[in-house]
Amino acid sequence: MAEPSAAVRSFDAEALPHLDALYRVALRLTADPTQAEDLVQDTMLKAYRSWRQYRPGTNAKGWLLTILRNTFINDYRRRKIEPIAMDLEAVEPHALFRAVEEIDPEGTFFSRIVDEKVLEAVDTLPPEFREVLVLSDVEGMSYAEIAETLELPLGTVKSRLFRARRLLQARLYAYAVEMGYIKPRESRDG
Amino acid sequence: MADRIDCRQATEQLHDYLKQEMTPALAEEIRAHLDRCRPCFRQALFEENFLRLLEGCARQRCPGTLRARIVALLQVEAERD
Repeated sequence: MAEPSAAVRSFDAEALPHLDALYRVALRLTADPTQAEDLVQDTMLKAYRSWRQYRPGTNAKGWLLTILRNTFINDYRRRKIEPIAMDLEAVEPHALFRAVEEIDPEGTFFSRIVDEKVLEAVDTLPPEFREVLVLSDVEGMSYAEIAETLELPLGTVKSRLFRARRLLQARLYAYAVEMGYIKPRESRDG
Repeated sequence: MADRIDCRQATEQLHDYLKQEMTPALAEEIRAHLDRCRPCFRQALFEENFLRLLEGCARQRCPGTLRARIVALLQVEAERD
């Protein structure tokens, strides 16, 4: 077999380390392991073919995720029935802490929820909320990197994150109540 | 020194504070508020546990079969160049 060229070597070194993150994000976007694999594969091929557009030493993870997301929107999203559009600004759930501060102020019930169930709850968020939350709070990207990757204003990233976290907390709380990890106080009205 | 931010302003920015996504000056104001406000301090611990739960979800790895398939495809692409 021929020696790999310099281009392949630099792609291998800069892009392949991000496969795990790309696969995790693809799973959240597609909510389907087979589609997620196809999406990651398509992304890596596209990335390789446009590798000369990547400036070495810049944010390779963000660059790859931009390709992944654009590929998803252009080639994958239309395969699925879109959820009913919701007014993102109208989502204004309350902070969960107020509801649980007297029964579980440290949120120990969070630690009883297994990863798989947390991610299932993430998957129920509207796509616009899900992507910022996954990139920030699961993948550890900075708000600025997310704004660049998703081509959104920084303020939009921040306001979506704010609502996404509150919405997710409400869903996790509902699941924890259902599983008996936390017992809501009796309603004073009832 | 009196607080320049109130509890609502502090709690609404707790996630940004915990993720160090704010100016050092604002972070200092929030830290000062948490130092003197027990309920907000407690909420900060709660929110920290919530964020830790999400960070813990980044353990899933790309399947080895997919990784191998991609490496092989890239090799084919490279040979075509």
